[in-house]
Amino acid sequence: MTPRTAPRTALLALAELLAWWGALALLWLVLITSVDTLERIVGAGAAAVGALLARAGRRAVTWR
Amino acid sequence: MAVNGWILAATVCLGGGGAAALWGVTTGPPARRVVAQNMTTSALCPALLLLSQGYGRPAYVDLALLLALLGPVGTLVFARLLGDDLEGGRPSAWGLTWTAAGLSAVVVAAVCAATGPGRAMVKLLVVGALLIAGNVIASRALSGGFRGVRGG
Repeated sequence: MTPRTAPRTALLALAELLAWWGALALLWLVLITSVDTLERIVGAGAAAVGALLARAGRRAVTWR
Repeated sequence: MAVNGWILAATVCLGGGGAAALWGVTTGPPARRVVAQNMTTSALCPALLLLSQGYGRPAYVDLALLLALLGPVGTLVFARLLGDDLEGGRPSAWGLTWTAAGLSAVVVAAVCAATGPGRAMVKLLVVGALLIAGNVIASRALSGGFRGVRGG
């Protein structure tokens, strides 16, 4: 990785993580019964973990 | 509780589809059994959605969601493990698959119409999309699609 492409790669990774996080948090909000503060906090945390896992999984099968 | 149209429809779905699936799973060659096993999800999940509406218990939708998610995954495991047994005659039942998909779509649309717009409706649509997509993907895996990932 050259110094010139490093910030671009990091930005792309960040954008992908944000996209996963948004989609997963939205899915959480849709699937729960009652929306309150605790659910929002737990959902945001779970979506963050899920976004990391989703990106790792996506990268693991990209070579196909 | 008096029997309403939703519960009646669920009974028909469970009785007809469930009995047909049970018969298919317990008789005939492996190819037929595995197709019937896949169809069990398509019969039971719409029935759960109808029951949730009939009894007024939204918690039943969670069961349907779980079934729509895990049923096709189970079929994919069967498709992988029985790959050698199914090699001779690939089970292919596209008429049945699209009939089941149509039933799922009709049931989801009816329950959505009864629920009205809101988060609950989006949840129902998610369940319906998972159900139909899972059914089609699992059927394709059984009929020998996805050559590219075999052994991958």
